[in-house]
Amino acid sequence: MNLRARMSSALAHGLLGAAALLTLAPFAYLVCGAFKTRDAFFSAHFLPRGAGALGVDWGGLTLDHLARLFSDPSLRFGASLLNSVFYASVSGVLATLCAAMGGYALARFAFRGRAAVTALVLGALIVPAPLLLAPGYALVHRLGLLDTFAGLILPGLAPAFGVYLFRQAMLNAVPPDLLEAARMDGCGEVRLFFEIVLPLCRPMLGAFLLITFIGAWNNFIGPQIILQSPERFPLAVALAQVKGIYGTDYGLLMAGTLVSILPVMALFIGLQREFIAGLTSGAVKG
Amino acid sequence: MNTRRTDREPALTPAVWIVCTLAVLSSVAVALRPDAPRPDLLLWTFARPHQEMYAPVLEEWNAAPDRPRAESLLLTTDALQRRLLSGFLSGTPLPDVVEVHGGIAAQVFRGPVEQIGFLDLTDRLRETGLLEQFNPPSLTPWTTRGRIYGLPHDVHPVLLGYRADVVEAAGIDLSSVQTWDQFVHVLKPLMADADGDGRPDRYLLNLWETNPELLEVLLLQAGGGLFDAREQLAMSTDVNAHVLATIASWTTGPDRIAINAPEFDAAGNRLRLDGVVLCSLLPDWLAGAWQLDLPGLAGRVKVMSLPAWTPGGRRTSVMGGTMLGLPRAARDVERAWSLAQQLYLNRDIARRLYREAGIVTAVRTFWDDPVFDEPNPFFSGQPAGRLYLEQAPHVPARTSSPYQRLALAALGDAALGLKAEAERHALHRVEQLEPLARAHLAQAEQRVRQHMARNVFFESAGETP
Repeated sequence: MNLRARMSSALAHGLLGAAALLTLAPFAYLVCGAFKTRDAFFSAHFLPRGAGALGVDWGGLTLDHLARLFSDPSLRFGASLLNSVFYASVSGVLATLCAAMGGYALARFAFRGRAAVTALVLGALIVPAPLLLAPGYALVHRLGLLDTFAGLILPGLAPAFGVYLFRQAMLNAVPPDLLEAARMDGCGEVRLFFEIVLPLCRPMLGAFLLITFIGAWNNFIGPQIILQSPERFPLAVALAQVKGIYGTDYGLLMAGTLVSILPVMALFIGLQREFIAGLTSGAVKG
Repeated sequence: MNTRRTDREPALTPAVWIVCTLAVLSSVAVALRPDAPRPDLLLWTFARPHQEMYAPVLEEWNAAPDRPRAESLLLTTDALQRRLLSGFLSGTPLPDVVEVHGGIAAQVFRGPVEQIGFLDLTDRLRETGLLEQFNPPSLTPWTTRGRIYGLPHDVHPVLLGYRADVVEAAGIDLSSVQTWDQFVHVLKPLMADADGDGRPDRYLLNLWETNPELLEVLLLQAGGGLFDAREQLAMSTDVNAHVLATIASWTTGPDRIAINAPEFDAAGNRLRLDGVVLCSLLPDWLAGAWQLDLPGLAGRVKVMSLPAWTPGGRRTSVMGGTMLGLPRAARDVERAWSLAQQLYLNRDIARRLYREAGIVTAVRTFWDDPVFDEPNPFFSGQPAGRLYLEQAPHVPARTSSPYQRLALAALGDAALGLKAEAERHALHRVEQLEPLARAHLAQAEQRVRQHMARNVFFESAGETP
């Protein structure tokens, strides 16, 4: 490697390192905050300073916040964790399935009004989600689905973004000739979809499932409005309740946030290859 | 067609399998979980400490055989506001009793009086004699067009919290300070630049023009404010101009004494802990929050009455507030009213409220409770509760106008504009700044009036029934 290449590599690494530091600093703040005592919380941005080893006041660190998360029944942290897993996974699976079905229909079925439906889906993409909150809430109320998981999951069952994404993926990945050949061999439409079409969209399937899972996991406003009973609150809403009106137990809030992001972070780190493959599939013509 | 599985990649990736497994397992767990029974009376609150204090009362209520089962639900303020307004406007589910803070209540008061979603409690309070039990100024934020729509939870008087360790070490006696002018004069020596960095080592007051709530506290103390007693906008007044000009002289120029040390903020708390800021306007709820969030200040701070704007003037102000209301759509209004009284006219809750949150009750008959006389180690052994209660009857009356938030933002704009102009023209004396303050306030008032004029419903509701 010549000098110029080495310098350019060092510059790139330096810039990326700085960007990584900027990105990771809030996470480090979160981790440190989750283990600091109330007394030490505001004493430093990260670890509490003191006369201990490495200039750290080790007495200012505690596991009490984590222990309280799972031992204080008023926080209902365990139930909220279960609710989050349920809401995110069921939403993810159903939304992916419905979006794939919708995208397949728009991409590979010729029917009257297809162009209009496609335009409608595309149009739905430009409607800001907050605008739909009030009518969505009223509709869910009229359907008698307030304070139910169904009222939360049903409105997000076929997201316009997903339907359009799968339509584009199917146009690229599912050759009409293959579908025709399968039908001539006697393959039914349901089997065709599950055994031929879905495997051809495999990377997109995994990527979209992860996107919807993470989206539902982090969703705050929807559950906060639709769900009324605290025993149904997911983590995002339950954690917001920790923030007090007269004062906030920041350590508890940080510990709760840390625990709430760990499962989704583990899922993402474990499956990031698939996620990236899904997002970049079709990006390069081969 | 060859569809043998061995010839192809698996249809589902590991990610899909993992999420599907989670979906199945969690669905089973959620389906098997028993549903909690629905309460007959539901209370919404936005404060966890309140919910915890009400728990024993609800338990006792539910133990009585002839009463409907009551429960409380904790919601964030945003969620409570959305649900409450949605319930009032479109008939979605409402609680039977609800606690709201001033910002939410004022929104409900928009529009004709007969359309207000809360039950009018005026006659009930008069007939039962309860009206006399509450601190009169504490009812004003929950009163519109002469009718009362909520029971006051608190008084929220404002005192001056100061670093007693620093002040007393310098040999300064604040007990003789009666006015803001004296306050500045007596404490100014503490602003010396001992470390020689060209800046004062300490600032006297936590106050900044970007925090209009604090500006309003001082306007109200001086007898001004954003609205008059008839809920009419009254920003551009001599009193307001004088206070705003004084604040501008405190935050800029050679006589600057104030610094921005935001509450509930790491940087602001650092300034308090390090003694860079010496004094703060301290409502009782904030005093409670300090005791939780800033244990490092324990034994180093004290409270005293606010210095007055004029000799013999008011020594306190007011900031924040909560009420308990009954939606008109409550399923059983009489039971809800009974529960509301049990919660807000309860001596044990008043004691807990002070001990756990530092808040003094608005029920005057409880003010003789010894809990308020207990020495508070955080405030260097002072009976902080008694000091707050001494000022409680004198807190200024406040508006319940739905345009209060808008007027507050306009006040912030006026303060920012005034400061910018003061710096641009190097005008730092109060008498120089007063005409400018008046002009900025007049512009701000005009903007708010334009917004208010668009609401024809509010105008038509201006008549007192």
